[in-house]
Amino acid sequence: AQEFSFKFQSSDPAGNPNFELKKDWAERVKAMSGGRLEIEMLPVGSVVEHNETQDAVSAGILDGHITDTSYFAGKDPAFGLIANPVGAWSDPSEMLRFVEYGGGKELMNELLEPRGLHFIGATTPGLEAFISKKPLDGVADLKGLKMRAPEGLVQEVFAAAGAAPVNLPGSEVFTSLDKNVIEAADYTVFSTNQAQGMHDVARHPVYPGFHSMPLVEVSMNKDKWDALPDDLKAILEVSVRDFARDMTSQLAMKDLVAVAEARKGGDITIHNWSAEERAKFRAIAKAQWEKVASRSDNAQKVYDVLTKYLTEQGLL
Amino acid sequence: MSDPQTRPPVDRGADGEAGEREIKRAVPEAGLIGRAIDRLGIVFALGIVAAMAILIMEVVLRYAFNAPTIWAHETTIFLCAIAFVYGGLYSAARDSHIRVVLVYDYVPKSVRRVLDVCISLACMVAALFFAYASVLMVEKAVLLPDGSFRLETSGSAWNPPTPALLKIFLLIVMGVMALQFLVLSWNYARGQRANKDKA
Amino acid sequence: MDFLDLGFSLKDLGIEYGTLAMFAMLLTLLLTGMPLAFVTLLVALIFTLGWFGPLAVPLITSRVFSFVSSFVFVSVPMFVLMAAILDRSGIARDLFDAMRLVGGRLRGGVAIQTIFVAVILAAMSGIIGGEVVLLGLIALPQMLRLGYDRNLAIGVVCAGGSLGTMVPPSIVLIIYGLTANVSIGDLFTAAFVPGLMLAGFYVAYVLIRSYLNPKVAPIPEPDDVPFSEKIALLKGLVLPLMVVGFVLGSIYGGIASVTEASAIGVFGVTISTILRREFSLALMKDAALQTLATCGMIVWIGIGASALVGVFNLMGGIKFVSSLFAGLSDSPTVVLLFMMLVLFVLGMFLDWVGIALLTMPIFVPIITQLGFDPVWFGVLFCMNMQVSFLSPPFGPAAFYLKSVAPANISLGDIFKSLWPFICLQVLAVAILIVFPGITGR
Ligand code: NA
Ligand code: NA
Repeated sequence: AQEFSFKFQSSDPAGNPNFELKKDWAERVKAMSGGRLEIEMLPVGSVVEHNETQDAVSAGILDGHITDTSYFAGKDPAFGLIANPVGAWSDPSEMLRFVEYGGGKELMNELLEPRGLHFIGATTPGLEAFISKKPLDGVADLKGLKMRAPEGLVQEVFAAAGAAPVNLPGSEVFTSLDKNVIEAADYTVFSTNQAQGMHDVARHPVYPGFHSMPLVEVSMNKDKWDALPDDLKAILEVSVRDFARDMTSQLAMKDLVAVAEARKGGDITIHNWSAEERAKFRAIAKAQWEKVASRSDNAQKVYDVLTKYLTEQGLL
Repeated sequence: MSDPQTRPPVDRGADGEAGEREIKRAVPEAGLIGRAIDRLGIVFALGIVAAMAILIMEVVLRYAFNAPTIWAHETTIFLCAIAFVYGGLYSAARDSHIRVVLVYDYVPKSVRRVLDVCISLACMVAALFFAYASVLMVEKAVLLPDGSFRLETSGSAWNPPTPALLKIFLLIVMGVMALQFLVLSWNYARGQRANKDKA
Repeated sequence: MDFLDLGFSLKDLGIEYGTLAMFAMLLTLLLTGMPLAFVTLLVALIFTLGWFGPLAVPLITSRVFSFVSSFVFVSVPMFVLMAAILDRSGIARDLFDAMRLVGGRLRGGVAIQTIFVAVILAAMSGIIGGEVVLLGLIALPQMLRLGYDRNLAIGVVCAGGSLGTMVPPSIVLIIYGLTANVSIGDLFTAAFVPGLMLAGFYVAYVLIRSYLNPKVAPIPEPDDVPFSEKIALLKGLVLPLMVVGFVLGSIYGGIASVTEASAIGVFGVTISTILRREFSLALMKDAALQTLATCGMIVWIGIGASALVGVFNLMGGIKFVSSLFAGLSDSPTVVLLFMMLVLFVLGMFLDWVGIALLTMPIFVPIITQLGFDPVWFGVLFCMNMQVSFLSPPFGPAAFYLKSVAPANISLGDIFKSLWPFICLQVLAVAILIVFPGITGR
């Protein structure tokens, strides 16, 4: 019988494939717990706005959230750095291993627990693709590029690379691209960009992307977590680990289908950056990590743990 | 219509016949605090004009010089946000918030007075609760978990402390609004409104 | 805050009776004459306290914070400021005098031109609020001055001003596109003809009314204006047309985003007053103050509605609405019509953002399952929201107009004038259902 009933808010709108995957996860938690733990997945903005969920979970208004940690960069620069160390990851598994075994999980809880949240685990939609109207084949092409980037490290890195990033809300991306106000945009993964018609107005996507792979945290109110019996805690932790595999696999497959479709259509040119260009971009990004690290003790801690892991793994 | 002494008709230039609208001021029942709220309005009104100028500047810088700023949009949003929040208080002092007066207009003056007092008291209680909730919100926006002081920022490349400032502003406005509604209900109860018609 | 523990919880009502209680409370408080913004805020507060306790109240202030700091709303004060400046200069009057000439001997000419202006405004903006205020300040007094039937004039202003979200660009379609994960470009393309069709209905209605009863739209005085004077009058068109040209040019020429373009409009209008030697600091100050007051009213109505939806969703509103559809019928048509009914009823009590948040998570998957085209449904949703802007008791377009209308026009008068236009919108919804091909899908 049902013992716990939680409301989690997602950072995705209802029809988004990510949201469906999140709902599937909630269903599996229910099945695995024999119906004792029920989670209602609410779409973005349904109770509070996407950048207010941390406060709402901490106050116990929401029970938990599944959201891009970057949204909380304004609360502590450390969130911005751990959520999206631009250029650090070239594959979801690298990031997930860092979270699981490289100290990421402990870091997240060091950041979240004092704020009244408990970090259960992480997932990611994967390496985002880059939307562009202009052919982009390397860092040099970014010079003077009028582009949209969300808050956080992404914007700073592109500015450092010579682009002219604008801070536009997601809802203005399409019209601004369509009307040439911007030439490129950091948005999301290829398949979703394609579904929302972004490639109809910007025919030179860069895929696989080079710039961004967000950490999507699954976390919940700490008091409510502490009150859970151990078996339900284990179910949540293990199911989130599986959820990450589910999300990255399914979205990667969707991306491949969408890419094939776009290639067949013929009027979209997909650009893929060479290893050298990706390395150049990463070098620019790395300088920005250090800048962010100096902004708070927590950010410095993130920087230290992150670079240690990357070095050990030969990724740096 | 409200009494003409306190609300001089606006000079509508060539457009005399349509000049039924008037420049409103704080209603007399709003008291001293209402007049102060009314006076201060110009600061936020000019903020809207400034927001317009900043957007124009941004368009010029981006289109003509290919040099968009990192601060124009966030500044514009902030200026509009504080104007929106203050606008609610401003309209409360001027009693210009929209009401459905279907029943209100058809009840006797004495009942109307009771309604005025009750409505203002209810609004005051609501504003008090929102002020209390704003305190909880501001706590999170100005203090780190370890108790040290840090204003919540927007997290953008420019990273201004606008979220914290806006939350503090909201707290102040809610507090002042509670006070305004208290003054309004007190003056309605004293019967200032009994001797005039309400539109 | 233990003193608030009244020994019962609204939660005991359950979501079904809770929803009913919420609507009943809304209606009752509305009728007391309480300011509308505070009605929704108070109901949100009572349900937060009664359902979740005082610690959940920050949910409301959080929504207030998010609502006011949204970029799309920046264009609201810009449109209102534009209107306030136009209203204080002679531009609006000259424009309508010139339009009277262009409209010639056509009955209802000025009303039709107002609809035409509304469509142009709609192509410049993706939201409503600003346009209703603009037309309410500019077109309404002029139509009344020219002796138009008051109800017809009010209806044209509210319905025309709402077209902003029907004719692309449209924030309703954008939010729908993001929610349903369908192409925003496809939505814009599909909404174009339906938007014009709706405007066409309004024009047809004006023509029919004014030819059936010449009193509702008097023909301008016989054409004895000398040619030289006609030319002078036509000069009134030059500046407004230039401003429109600037704004549309900046959007479609890729110079400014839709929101930025609204600021260009204000700038253009200000330059126009300078050219006409009407500019003064006092004029700007008055216009800015009026903008502050009007935006305060408009935005606080939105704030209240947004808070209420947040609370309702936390109470389990989404689950409740979706339970209404479980096992409803196997017939796709029945399900679709029931959706239209739900949208219509919600449209009477909530604003469109709230309705989208509440219903889209439920409707879109069902629509796709039933084999309907989600793009077509997006346009249909958008058309439904046109109805919601006008339908009482919560009719945002009516509230926006009331905030700037002459004091002798009551909210009741406005709502009374809107019925024919609501019928036209419902007709448009029906046509979209029967002939989905209108969307080009
Ligand atoms: Na539009
Ligand atoms: Na309505």
